[in-house]
Amino acid sequence: MDKQKKNNLSFIVISAVIGFMIAIQFQSVKEPVERDTRDLWQLREALLQEKELQSELVSEIRSIEEKLLAYDSKQKQSKEQALRDTIKELKIEAGLTQVKGPGLSLRIEPIMEEIQIGEPISKDVSPELLKRLLNELNMYDAAYVSVDGQRVINTTVIRDINNETKIDGHAISSLPIEVKVGVDNLVTAEKLYNRIKASKATEEFFTENLKLIISEPTSELTIPAYDNPIRIRYLESLKANEGGNT
Amino acid sequence: MWLPLLGLIIGVLLGLLTDIRIPEEYSNYLSIAVLAALDTLFGGIRAHLQNIYDEKVFVSGFFFNILLAASLAFLGVHLGVDLYLAAVFAFGVRLFQNIAVIRRILLTKWSTNKEKIEKN
Repeated sequence: MDKQKKNNLSFIVISAVIGFMIAIQFQSVKEPVERDTRDLWQLREALLQEKELQSELVSEIRSIEEKLLAYDSKQKQSKEQALRDTIKELKIEAGLTQVKGPGLSLRIEPIMEEIQIGEPISKDVSPELLKRLLNELNMYDAAYVSVDGQRVINTTVIRDINNETKIDGHAISSLPIEVKVGVDNLVTAEKLYNRIKASKATEEFFTENLKLIISEPTSELTIPAYDNPIRIRYLESLKANEGGNT
Repeated sequence: MWLPLLGLIIGVLLGLLTDIRIPEEYSNYLSIAVLAALDTLFGGIRAHLQNIYDEKVFVSGFFFNILLAASLAFLGVHLGVDLYLAAVFAFGVRLFQNIAVIRRILLTKWSTNKEKIEKN
């Protein structure tokens, strides 16, 4: 009797498992309820509608692309773009942008004979010497110059304040310092290099116990931007009916 | 006798209530497993009626047949041969035979019962 019960149980369990599997299979393979019963002409109509939609979308895309093109060309020709270009050029010219290009770097350091044990190297480059060097560089077509990481622009002042040489308020702290000179192309750089070598600058520095080391021109020199605001105090814009006719 | 039917109903209800779905690519395996299980079930019923039922044979046959059928289908998919047709064929033939045997047994039982009633 006990065996019979056990048999029944296994029958029930296994048939339940089969039922479960059948149910899952039914659910998984359920056919879509709605069948497509459209005939040929209805299908053609639907196709026609879709094609119309497609052509509409295509024409829309085309018109939008044309608009985009028109805007692009308008922007290129506009005054605004011209002004932007001008501002960019002027900024480069004024020294407000970082410049990368060919050039060479000069190093100013104390001469070896001056370094003595037990004595601090408290050498300073005098402003006169620095000014002379910069003038000379400008004479030889230097376009962008920076001294000790400070960009030298048209309004830069180099002066002695409390026995410290300052460039636009930035003190030249300690030797050695680096003077970076950027030019327009590599040929000019070569020319500048030769002229500086031949000039009296090295001797002038030597008389002040300084050594001027001129490096070979490179094609990749980065000159930092001028980071102080440029103040214009005595400059005013000209009105149209004023000014001389020279 | 009605136990398998009861179990089947319970199983179907459970399956419908749980709302489990299997991916379409595996429905092949499940269908062949269902076929194998049905074959085992009818075999079990027949054995029961013939009084040669053995629980071990029944339960092990259930699982073994399902596994064999599923692995045959799997092999067929990977070999590019529709091997599951072999399982379908084998189980289908056995299913028919088993059902035929069950039918005969039930018929003879019924007719003998009828004769007994008539004699009495």
